[in-house]
Amino acid sequence: MPRRGWVSPWRSGPPASPPDPLPTTTVAFDPDDPLVEHLAQVAEPIALDRIDLDSPGVRALKAAGMALLVPLVTSGELVGLLALGPRRSEREYSTNDRRLLQDLATHAAPAVRVAQLVREQEAEVLSRQRIEQELHVARLIQQQFLPKSLPEMPGWHVAAHYQPAREVGGDFYDFLQLPGGQVGIVIGDVTDKGVPAALVMATTHSILRAEAARLLAPGEVLRRANALLVEEMPANMFVTCLYAVLDPASGRLRYANAGHDLPYLRRAEGVVELRATGMPLGLLPDMDYEEKEVRLEPGQGVLFHSDGVVEAHDPERTMFGFPRLKELVAGATSETDLIDRVLTHLAAFTGPDWEQEDDITLVTLSRTATAAVIGMDGPTDAAGLPPQARVLAAFTVASEPGGERAVLPRLAAAVDPLGLPALRRDALATAVAEATMNAIEHGNGNRPELPVRLVVAATDDAVLVTVTDRAVHGPSPEGPEQPDLDAKLAGRQSPRGWGLYLMRNLVDEVRTRDQVGGHTVELVLHRDGVAS
Amino acid sequence: MSVTQLETSVRHTDRDVAVIDLKGDVTAASEAALMDAYREASRDEPRGIALNFSDLDYMNSGGIGLLVTLLVRAKRAHQQVTAFGLSDHYRQIFELTRIDEVIGVHPDERHALDAARLGARVR
Repeated sequence: MPRRGWVSPWRSGPPASPPDPLPTTTVAFDPDDPLVEHLAQVAEPIALDRIDLDSPGVRALKAAGMALLVPLVTSGELVGLLALGPRRSEREYSTNDRRLLQDLATHAAPAVRVAQLVREQEAEVLSRQRIEQELHVARLIQQQFLPKSLPEMPGWHVAAHYQPAREVGGDFYDFLQLPGGQVGIVIGDVTDKGVPAALVMATTHSILRAEAARLLAPGEVLRRANALLVEEMPANMFVTCLYAVLDPASGRLRYANAGHDLPYLRRAEGVVELRATGMPLGLLPDMDYEEKEVRLEPGQGVLFHSDGVVEAHDPERTMFGFPRLKELVAGATSETDLIDRVLTHLAAFTGPDWEQEDDITLVTLSRTATAAVIGMDGPTDAAGLPPQARVLAAFTVASEPGGERAVLPRLAAAVDPLGLPALRRDALATAVAEATMNAIEHGNGNRPELPVRLVVAATDDAVLVTVTDRAVHGPSPEGPEQPDLDAKLAGRQSPRGWGLYLMRNLVDEVRTRDQVGGHTVELVLHRDGVAS
Repeated sequence: MSVTQLETSVRHTDRDVAVIDLKGDVTAASEAALMDAYREASRDEPRGIALNFSDLDYMNSGGIGLLVTLLVRAKRAHQQVTAFGLSDHYRQIFELTRIDEVIGVHPDERHALDAARLGARVR
């Protein structure tokens, strides 16, 4: 019988426990050793000195005093090896010995393979559980730091969308209330994924919050954040980040950029990138960040985004790319539906089987009304509104024939996010147009230099629109008697005089009030109601 | 904002009925365009006139006043007026003003033309 023996898996790891008290020797050799391929082909017991190979494995086995190798082969694959020393009798292994060992190998090999598979699978399950657990933690951290609400600024519309990849990617965004009614907007992306990225994101988030409250200038905020992050950043990690400060009253947007994807500014003349140079945060000490400024006019908007959109691939591995995103921005008439448009196009591009590669973050900021109207007239107009009303838009139109027509697209954009049923939305539009027409013709006497002011607001239950004229011709007429079609057809009433009647029947409430220097009509549409 | 003009075209489909296609805005500013179209449509003294609202962008109370004026004239001329191509919103306005009781509102041109002929014969 063999004097010494063991099953020696050449894969790394300790050999299986040998039967006591036989001594064991560990012989390790590389899976690429030519011996492995040779034994798989031989597939039967072979004397070590019959193997003529330039092989570290052969040399190691000889050095360990081995004499006979019994390959454990199943499905043409070498899954193990029985190496035996010289017989105790010091005679050669007989034909019978070899047959016995070959039988043993034939039976043992599949069992060894099964054991290996079970062990691999157990390891895989464990590692999957660990990854899932890690992802869960990363997601929790991430969500903890995303803003719970959007800033509400009269005359502005802000929207955000965050969609984590399965392996959470380290995207973040934030809105900060700053002194003087200014609002800070942060969008960033940490290199790396999972828990490490989430932790760096949390640190960056806290640093930016602390610095932004202290320093208003975006370039200065990023400079300080970089100085603090360089100290703490793990190797090979950094953060791209764009920080912008909006003054809602003037529309001034100041921004600085630490290597983040450039935001797009949509204007009537076309789309431009908002460029400012600066290195990502946490890479190098003593970095300066260029600060730029732009003024957002009514009707203009900005899209902030992370690379998860432009770096998404279609099934043919083509990237979505910046030009496609820019085109979508250019094709938008307002930012209110831009996020939906981008997501719809992205879904069509990537196809249904896409596994999202990276986090996707989109933040839109758009100016819906002139600050002049908001600033000067907002408080007066808002005085009549319930305190919980949110102003969706405020604007003026000139008092010239047909001026009410200009109200319609602005009203449509303002109420669009409310998702009113089409018939209700159209009813409101016609009622507002009628009120505006009255204000232009009667209140302001068709004098183009006199503006008609409109404020569109919403509560949870209703949409409210106020239309204010200067009442230079006294209050708008309450209209003639109730219009009666039969009387009109018979010539007993003027064919005209439908305005007030339409207004009263298309919305749920019409109120009027007079104040110094103005007359206001307020139209109320209940959001769950039906037009009477 | 410039006032969007009303564009009209008149089709004399047969001896009995004419179609007025309305494109753009029907407001008080459309008076000349609409009344010219009505005169042109009435040239051969048809028994009915169908108004095509498929390309209507906007109609306000001034436009409704104009329609009533047109109805008064059509009534004097013993013409039946029908309409088709109205959106849900303007159909609602026709109901509110009861114009739908005087004008037959139809889903498409064929029905509107048939009704214009029929209405004229009954009268």
